[in-house]
Amino acid sequence: MKAGLIVVALMVAGTAMAADQAGAAPTADASPAPKAYTPNPHSVAANWPLLENYCVKCHNATDWAGSVAFDTMQPDSVAGEGEIWEKAVRKLRGGLMPPPGKPQPDPAARQALMASLIEVLDKAQGTYPNPGSVVLHRLNRTEYANAIADLLDLKIDPAALLPRDDKADGFDNVADVLKVSPAFLEQYLSAARQVSVEAVGNPKARTTSRIFQGSLEAGQYVHLEGLPLGTRGGLLIETDLPADGDYEFNINGLIGAGYVWGVMDLNTLIITVDDVKVFEQNLGGDADLTAVDVDQAAGVGRINARFLNIRRHLTAGPHRIGVTYLEKTAAESNEVLNGFNTVAGMSYNVNGNSDGPRIQNVEIKGPIDAKGVSDTPSRAKIFACYPKSAAEELPCARQILSSLAEKAFRRPVTGEDVEGALSFYDGGRKQGGFDVGIQKGLMAILVSPKFLYRTHTPPANTAAGAEFRIRDADLASRLSFFLWSSAPDAELVRLGASGQLHQPEVLTKQVKRMLADPRAHALVTNFAFQWLNVHGLQLVEPDPNLFPAYTPDLIDDFTRELELFLGEAFENDRPVTDLLNANYTYVNERLALHYGVRGVRGGRFQRVVLGDEFHRRGLLGKGAFLMTTSYANRTTPVLRGAYILEKFLGTPPQAPPPAVQAFVETQEGGVALTVRERLESHRSQPSCNACHGIIDPLGLALENFDAVGQWREKDIDAGAGIDASGKLTDGTRLHGVDDLRKALLARQDQFVQTFTENLMTFGLGRTLRYYDMPTVRGIVRKSANDGYRLSTLVLGIVNSDAFQMERAVEEKTRAPEQKVASREEPAKTTLFDGGQTGP
Amino acid sequence: MFITKLHLQRRTVLKGLGAAVGLPLLDAMIPAATALADTAAAAKPRMIFVYFPHGAVMDKWTPKKEGADFDFPQILAPLKPFQKQLTIVSGLENKSAIAAPVHAITPGTWLSCVPPRISHDPLGGVTIDQMAAQAIGQDTPIPSLEVATEEQGGEGSCDRNYGCSYGKTISFRTPSTPLPMEHNPRKLFQQLFGQGDTAEERVLLTREDQSVLDLVLHDAADLNRTLGARDQALLDDYLTTVRELERRVQKVAGRDLKGVNLPDTPAGIPARFDEHMKLMFDLMALSLQANITKVITFMMAAEVSNQPYSFIGVADAFHPLSHHSNNAQKLDRLAKVQAFNTQMFANFVKKLQATPNGESTMLDQSLILFGSNMSNSNLHDHYPLPTAVLGGACGKLKGNQHLKYPDRTPIANLHVALLNRAGIPTKSLGDSTGEFTEI
Repeated sequence: MKAGLIVVALMVAGTAMAADQAGAAPTADASPAPKAYTPNPHSVAANWPLLENYCVKCHNATDWAGSVAFDTMQPDSVAGEGEIWEKAVRKLRGGLMPPPGKPQPDPAARQALMASLIEVLDKAQGTYPNPGSVVLHRLNRTEYANAIADLLDLKIDPAALLPRDDKADGFDNVADVLKVSPAFLEQYLSAARQVSVEAVGNPKARTTSRIFQGSLEAGQYVHLEGLPLGTRGGLLIETDLPADGDYEFNINGLIGAGYVWGVMDLNTLIITVDDVKVFEQNLGGDADLTAVDVDQAAGVGRINARFLNIRRHLTAGPHRIGVTYLEKTAAESNEVLNGFNTVAGMSYNVNGNSDGPRIQNVEIKGPIDAKGVSDTPSRAKIFACYPKSAAEELPCARQILSSLAEKAFRRPVTGEDVEGALSFYDGGRKQGGFDVGIQKGLMAILVSPKFLYRTHTPPANTAAGAEFRIRDADLASRLSFFLWSSAPDAELVRLGASGQLHQPEVLTKQVKRMLADPRAHALVTNFAFQWLNVHGLQLVEPDPNLFPAYTPDLIDDFTRELELFLGEAFENDRPVTDLLNANYTYVNERLALHYGVRGVRGGRFQRVVLGDEFHRRGLLGKGAFLMTTSYANRTTPVLRGAYILEKFLGTPPQAPPPAVQAFVETQEGGVALTVRERLESHRSQPSCNACHGIIDPLGLALENFDAVGQWREKDIDAGAGIDASGKLTDGTRLHGVDDLRKALLARQDQFVQTFTENLMTFGLGRTLRYYDMPTVRGIVRKSANDGYRLSTLVLGIVNSDAFQMERAVEEKTRAPEQKVASREEPAKTTLFDGGQTGP
Repeated sequence: MFITKLHLQRRTVLKGLGAAVGLPLLDAMIPAATALADTAAAAKPRMIFVYFPHGAVMDKWTPKKEGADFDFPQILAPLKPFQKQLTIVSGLENKSAIAAPVHAITPGTWLSCVPPRISHDPLGGVTIDQMAAQAIGQDTPIPSLEVATEEQGGEGSCDRNYGCSYGKTISFRTPSTPLPMEHNPRKLFQQLFGQGDTAEERVLLTREDQSVLDLVLHDAADLNRTLGARDQALLDDYLTTVRELERRVQKVAGRDLKGVNLPDTPAGIPARFDEHMKLMFDLMALSLQANITKVITFMMAAEVSNQPYSFIGVADAFHPLSHHSNNAQKLDRLAKVQAFNTQMFANFVKKLQATPNGESTMLDQSLILFGSNMSNSNLHDHYPLPTAVLGGACGKLKGNQHLKYPDRTPIANLHVALLNRAGIPTKSLGDSTGEFTEI
């Protein structure tokens, strides 16, 4: 039934379009003449004829397009039908409705309708307040790792310990989808064991082998940030060793059999431990070359053997171990002249040939004859006391475990809270002494659901549907997981416990303190990176034959550039519109060359201000965005356009319907067309154009950036010049990225609102609903006064009811929804979904 | 302050316990000795569900001949040695997977045939592997094992409206509980055989696990007192999970692994995708042999996998290649990838055939579904689905048949038949309209 209707809608769209093209009046079909009216931004009723003229043709009680029938609704019931009308506002604002190709209302009239709807909806918040509610909130694996780092001064790799968390609305901290399965729980319990052993150390540690494998592609002539200056290539390993003792290094397979690369030059391999050199040995040069040539495999074996069984004494705890080469002076350059070495000095070779012996596989075996455990940062954090006699043991254990439990449970603890940990201590104490006892007690704390779950405890006897203020202790956690992605520190816990935290002056002071803390960098690497889908970079693998300038190191460079770019804006509390418009960025030599910027040397990132001739202002000019939204072999204006709509404008397009014909790739032997020409063919179909008419012009404006984010004037594939022109749905003409950026800045409130929606989703750990929109708009309006500064937006969110209040919900049911004039209630769709809207 | 903070490049900085390494090949771990056989007189078949993403090039999958002694087109060819126990089922459709964000819901509907709710908070259907786990998995330490080779596929395996839950797993324990699939062989090994490197250590740790779980239950009860009604209900789910784990730990404590040569714990994820896939298959075979589980689901590659198959000379990433635009060269390369996947599966089947179990072999006692929930990857359609059923199923399957059903017969009918053959009485599920009796 519904499918049939969609076809009808398509045909209608098609006719309307044909009519448009023929120059006929949009009313050429059989519908009644449009009603005349005077738009009024303060009266929905006055604007109602616009709906009747332009929307009811599909959204009516017969067709129910998108499950909405405006002809069953009244202007005076808008306040109580927020769910529908918030969607309508979004569609109008994004120019998504009426779809391109259909008759469009006058922009001023559209604006007036939107304004009048917003006015009513915002006022309605007083009548229908709803702070929403967040279900029992499990720590995700990033939060877990950060909490462990704060609690125990121990760096762990959460991906190696816990399964990946599901995402909702692009974020992995949404309570609803953070489920628990036996497999998760099993790993969680085993993580607690591993973490507690690593933190306390294990003087009886058995010899084990840890193998670290580097990238197959990382250049060996590039200095690796984090390693001592004057070195190049290799690996940097950050690891925690369980005990003091001898450790054996094996650098496996430095040179391979068969055709042996790179031994003609003399390389000097060194091992550093915490930046101190502990090993140095030459590799390559005349003698080695002769050995390989004359003795073949035996020679290779002898050379490799020089880098095996390297035994050194190391202490327990964290170490930074470098295995790398010494850089020679430029006078005796190490650089091999490769046939196709595209980036000078960067020595990546697309043929996959090694550019010298690659340090790729390092084994650290040990401890051999463990000799106790030295002081480590973790032990310093844990052992606040250490017993000198048997009598001191239990009181000391109680002190240690109470303090750990308080930090882990994020609130003051009672005797009952540490009872379990103490009984584990007891067992461990009997088994292996005081240290083992503490390790078991710590493990018991880490497995507890009191650590795993954040809760919002309602006051006693809270009725279902009633609203309550969350406890200050819970507020402290909410705040710290929002701004730090980690557990609250002692000061927050204290303010939470004393019930002062919610006081406005206290809260503001804490937010400012937290934003100034280095831990707030999580807003860049956790919040903003998820918002901008930086992870997507890992999924694009540009074809090296088409993009010789691409090296896998660029993925790191793009990520780092973005991190520093966002970091500067956030740290300096800049207006968030800077993210679109700022003219500075950060590059190292490799990235500078990639962008065509001269005069930057070395692997370290430097701040540069780029002139407008680079077209790199803001996020639109960043390689991270440009490459994430490309395919291996070409740009995709569709992905770029959709990304802009979703991430910057908050009006994501629908997914394409099933069974659409795929994009036409150039056939082997066929004539190459530009991406624009190939897209043109599908936009000529009305059913495609309904969405692509909105998406494509945005993406096509970026065509001067190729799939790896380099500027181009020409489509090499098709041999044609780049045409980056287009027209937005509101009629704005674009010629390239600068126009696009200006167009986005012209709607900066929309960008700020989208940013705020994302920040709030992340901050609350729940999907935003229609009843949150008045709050969001309020925050954005208020922040306009100081130019949309980050801290103002953060404070707006923190001070909102959605953040500080909660609605008590009955067992397993959702927040009671307002009655909507919808035939079939979609089960908890997000705000951004519009239901299936015809084409 | 942010800017001066020392930052390290991710790819070349390795943290923690060490990353991927060359794997111990697990051939050695399946000894000639008999597997840990069932003691029950009437054995019920093991059920194994092997999923490959992105459908198949159907004219290189579907045999031309119907009935017995059918022919083997390219993609099926590696299964020829098992023809006696092989049934190809043609003409099937899965309607529940039809929706715009195809990839995001295709895996999760394969074994349920229930259209999922449009929501990040998942609500789909219970999958047949989990129905089997309820019925036949309860006497093994792990009622069901969920295995994959990749954590997640590329863009498209998640959807804004449907979320990620239906795209990452083919197994749902309840309509709202997707089961994550383990792709790390090291973690899988520890899940199967426990932590610790020696048998002695494993016993100690297992005992400790039991008291840890007691403590968790105790703390959860504590926590429960502070929660609102809905959160209490959610904590109940958590408690169910804890109890499930408790049961598992007890089973593990009581099991006897004398017949199995345990290899070393794998160090991590092998660098080569084919080696990774093989290792996961090996661990599956080992878990069956050790009678740790009787129900397994496996996603050979992630939905929207961008894995290149360079080891067989196909440099294209799998998913973009699957959008072949009917280009002949691309179709050839895609079929090559798909035939390779079949070959990897066939190697696993061979291993089961070589594993004696009581009077017969593990393969004789297994019921394996091998297929995809997509047909033509260029069109993203769900008809006709590439579907093969393999194994002796304790004598409950005829084998050596190519069954061609009327166009668009629901695949749910096959699922009903498979459950019944496995001794799990089932009348209907999803959109089933009956049961295949011919199989």
